[in-house]
Amino acid sequence: MNSNIWLITFADAISIATPLILASLGAMLTERSGVINLGVEGYLLMGAVTAFQLGMGFGNVWLSVFAPILVGVVMALVHGALVISLRANQIVSGLAMVIFGTGLSQFLGKSVEGERRPVSIEPIDFGRLSDIPFIGPVIFGHDPLTYFTWALTIVASLYLNRTRPGLVLRATGDAPATVDAQGVSVTAVRYIHTVVGGALMAFAGSWFMLARGTAWSQESTTNGIGWIALALVVFAAWRPLRAILGAVLFGFTLQVPFTLQAQQINVVAPEMVKMLPYLATLFVLVALSTPRARRLLGAPKMLGIPFVRDER
Amino acid sequence: MIVGGYRIELEPRLKSPRWLVYVVPVVSLLFAFVVAGIFLLGTGHNPFTTYGKLIDKGYTSYYGITDTLGLATPLICTGLAAAFAFRMNLFNIGEEGQMYLGMIGAAWAGIVLADNLPGVAAVPVVMLSGAAFGALWVLVPAVLRARLGTSEIVSTLLLNYVALNLVNFLIFGSRTLWRDPSPFPDGQLVADSARLDRFGTTNVYPTLLIAAILAVFLWLFMRFSNYGYETSVFADSPNTARYAGMSASRLTVSVLLSSGALAGLAGSMYVVGPAGKVDPGLLQVGLGYAGIVVAALARYNFVAVILTAVLFAGLRVGGAALQISSDPVPIAIATVIQGAVLLFALGGEMFRKNRLRVRRIAGSPVRGAA
Repeated sequence: MNSNIWLITFADAISIATPLILASLGAMLTERSGVINLGVEGYLLMGAVTAFQLGMGFGNVWLSVFAPILVGVVMALVHGALVISLRANQIVSGLAMVIFGTGLSQFLGKSVEGERRPVSIEPIDFGRLSDIPFIGPVIFGHDPLTYFTWALTIVASLYLNRTRPGLVLRATGDAPATVDAQGVSVTAVRYIHTVVGGALMAFAGSWFMLARGTAWSQESTTNGIGWIALALVVFAAWRPLRAILGAVLFGFTLQVPFTLQAQQINVVAPEMVKMLPYLATLFVLVALSTPRARRLLGAPKMLGIPFVRDER
Repeated sequence: MIVGGYRIELEPRLKSPRWLVYVVPVVSLLFAFVVAGIFLLGTGHNPFTTYGKLIDKGYTSYYGITDTLGLATPLICTGLAAAFAFRMNLFNIGEEGQMYLGMIGAAWAGIVLADNLPGVAAVPVVMLSGAAFGALWVLVPAVLRARLGTSEIVSTLLLNYVALNLVNFLIFGSRTLWRDPSPFPDGQLVADSARLDRFGTTNVYPTLLIAAILAVFLWLFMRFSNYGYETSVFADSPNTARYAGMSASRLTVSVLLSSGALAGLAGSMYVVGPAGKVDPGLLQVGLGYAGIVVAALARYNFVAVILTAVLFAGLRVGGAALQISSDPVPIAIATVIQGAVLLFALGGEMFRKNRLRVRRIAGSPVRGAA
């Protein structure tokens, strides 16, 4: 078998890891504040359709890159209002956002279904650097959003672990009462991070339309990647840098079906190979559920629990 | 929250007024129509004529009503499936996949077993086989949840994608007994004895009655049986349940399996009814996901699920008619309304359980007081 093709698969895995990292960073920041946002899939789709439709209308790539962020902010504000202010069930609210986002993206994208993508982000040309064996195709030759995402992950990691607001954020997820006693508003911290998180999720969605998909089709855009991103948060133990590693791993399982198809390897039916990323994610989730792994993971202690100051 | 000397707080109601139970879903529905209406306007459709057509095709014309009731039949089952699990805070969101497995299980029994069974036994066996397959599909997430505490939310959902590919494999990617031997990829029809006759020329099958009876039975059972009592105690307080000697893992597994079986039943109703085979067309409908909305809007009340299922089936039937009308509106508008209803119902539910209290903070200046 051609070893080169697996190198390309690996390079593609790094590429598709980009939205996975962005979306799981968003989910991570949200969850660190103690709020669960299961709506990732809906945010991704809404981000994707926004990027595509604005591209069709204006043909400006930057508008398509950044406008989805606003969409994510609005969606996250609705989620925040429901679960932070009204203390509604976080899981059902997230699910509702998945259903709403799926429906709305399909509705808004109907008029351009099957159209070729109007704007795109091209991979950066690194010249000779890309010719370095192994390192070349793996590290160089990705699109700018990928490098931006790596940088963002490092910033997020520093923010969480080395800054005061990051400390407050971690404390809000673990011991909101303490944060409250310090005179910091738990509500504000949770709103801010839910909104930033939602913005990142929708931003991740724009990547699908600008760097990967060649045409808009609601069914085949995200294919459950939002849910894989949620599993990735657990895999990364709520730590940004580890998300990169996990995303590449999950990205590889997402990419393998395409490689096998391109190579016309039909030992296993393509439909069966397509189950791989979901089964792999499930397997990882299970492995991380053992009591030993659970102790090492350190999920935010007050995840999903609304904060009420004077609980009697 | 403090606004200008006043503290605004949500306070639990000791007793929520009865009328709010009905007002919240109705108002949520109205708001959802307004939200979807804004998007209709934005895409150049007149919301009033669109809704008029939707209601006409979904609820008022003869074939509209009967199509709606036909589609509501499996939706009642997926709604019951979601309600059964959600009311115990077990978030099985894999109804979609469990329904596919139900379809596969029912078709298997209908192809392999039905011919060897006495006529009257065929349909019940086929339906039970579908339910069993649906339950089996949730077995792994259920045991993981009970033993290791693995989140059933993500695990049941991931299996939806596996089930989706499994159906595609059976119909498009292989030559198993589920596939018709003809070159055109389609499901193999089940034996005639495994199918029910529709009512007249409508798309309503006797399975509608089964679904409705099941809903009433579940309502009675969970209200009056010991099992129903245990699940409600467990839902309110897992610790209390444990102190009272109830087995958390037994309850968790049994509730999730029952939920999966109900979703599987939805798939088998499709087989004994309109489809008669493993039908890849069902993959596009999303009855499993819709079941979650149906259950939530019914506030996880089994009998109310019948009503909300009919309501949402009508949206879907009306939406399908809109898509092929002279001013085509994407059927996805039905999903938009579903999602919006759920969001509003969630917010509304909080106002039912709590009330807004606006209090003046002591010591702050009194404005407008004599």
